[in-house]
Amino acid sequence: MRKIAVMYSGSSQHWRTYKTSEFARYIDQLIPVRQLEEANLEAFDVLIIPSQTHTGLLDQNIQKIYDFANTGKVVVTFGPQHRDWLPMHKWEFRPTNFWWWLEPNADSGLRLLETTHDLFKNYITLEDATWHQHGVYWPSEGCEVLVSTNDGGAVLYIDRVNTNGVWVNTTLDPDYHFGSYFMPATERFLRGFLPWLKKGQI
Amino acid sequence: MSKDYIVIHPCNIFSQGKADENFEIVDMYDLPNIELSSYKCMVILGFVDQEFLQEKKQIIADFLASKKIVCFFGNLVTDWLPGQQAFIAKDIRNHWDYDISIAKQHVIFDGVKEEEMTINKGVKGFFARGHHPAPADAEILLTLPEGEPVTFIDRSSTNGTIFMHAGNNLFTIGGMIPSTLKTTSRIPAQLMQWVQEEYKYLAEERINRCVK
Repeated sequence: MRKIAVMYSGSSQHWRTYKTSEFARYIDQLIPVRQLEEANLEAFDVLIIPSQTHTGLLDQNIQKIYDFANTGKVVVTFGPQHRDWLPMHKWEFRPTNFWWWLEPNADSGLRLLETTHDLFKNYITLEDATWHQHGVYWPSEGCEVLVSTNDGGAVLYIDRVNTNGVWVNTTLDPDYHFGSYFMPATERFLRGFLPWLKKGQI
Repeated sequence: MSKDYIVIHPCNIFSQGKADENFEIVDMYDLPNIELSSYKCMVILGFVDQEFLQEKKQIIADFLASKKIVCFFGNLVTDWLPGQQAFIAKDIRNHWDYDISIAKQHVIFDGVKEEEMTINKGVKGFFARGHHPAPADAEILLTLPEGEPVTFIDRSSTNGTIFMHAGNNLFTIGGMIPSTLKTTSRIPAQLMQWVQEEYKYLAEERINRCVK
């Protein structure tokens, strides 16, 4: 079982998702974002960088996050980022369509590329990862794109090639939505994604 | 030019964006270092670190004690705002469960249609998805279908005034840009008008108390 730490913002959204809901049991430690700089991360296998984090404090800790990854550990990032800071970060903003599912012959535009990946074989379905996106990544060669848009932009990908660790990066922001009581699919996503982080094949 | 409003800003992506020129935007973590005496109104946005605010709750209590206004937009989850109770999410069973009603005609929502607060491009739930129980004497402005107070004014918990709204900020401070074609676009200016009137009322009440 991996030990998971969360860079915790103390917002009502993070408070619900990571501290007080059914998902709190997957989290070994909440590290207040204002204390991350001094925190010792050695005991942890996974560090989650939630969506809607304080951008200034995230900036201050980027090297620390890279150092953590480079010891062979797992970094997870949710949601759109405020600037390009991920390894070989290539982001394309796209306006959010909150209303796609109201359109005739509704198509979220999402495609599952890695149907045999442990996350999608044993933990979640594509529907559990379907609400809306805020943009796409164009990962570098060698990254594993699990979910993409129908034109190939990455919505969820795993990067084992650009550092000595593993980065699970997604434009999805289930922690924000679940913490805001908005978008039921995000609950299903977290019910599978967090157990996968804990004990699945990453 | 001195500004009337100080915005306690969480510095997350969704709160970024253009703000009205009357707002002084400060990083929430700078709150202990700010001289607050020149501001009439403190605006606290929904992504703030509420565990930090709980540590610094005396600053907010002191601001209110000096007859000022605090507007909070979001879901209260820790104890930092005097007299207020924690957010309760609406249990959704029917498609009308997020319908917003005007409980009392008020300058802030004058000319604003209930359905335009409730529905955004055919989808409900953007405006508010729960409520905060209101203190006994609160002036309740908006409710959910079972009378739950989404938006209210509390003049009894402190010497100042607390404006509580269990949703996104109703001023023009970043976030989603309201459609100018909807009556909801009236809210930011009318809320600012109310703040000015409320501040005047609080100041006059102070003078009256001094005279007595």
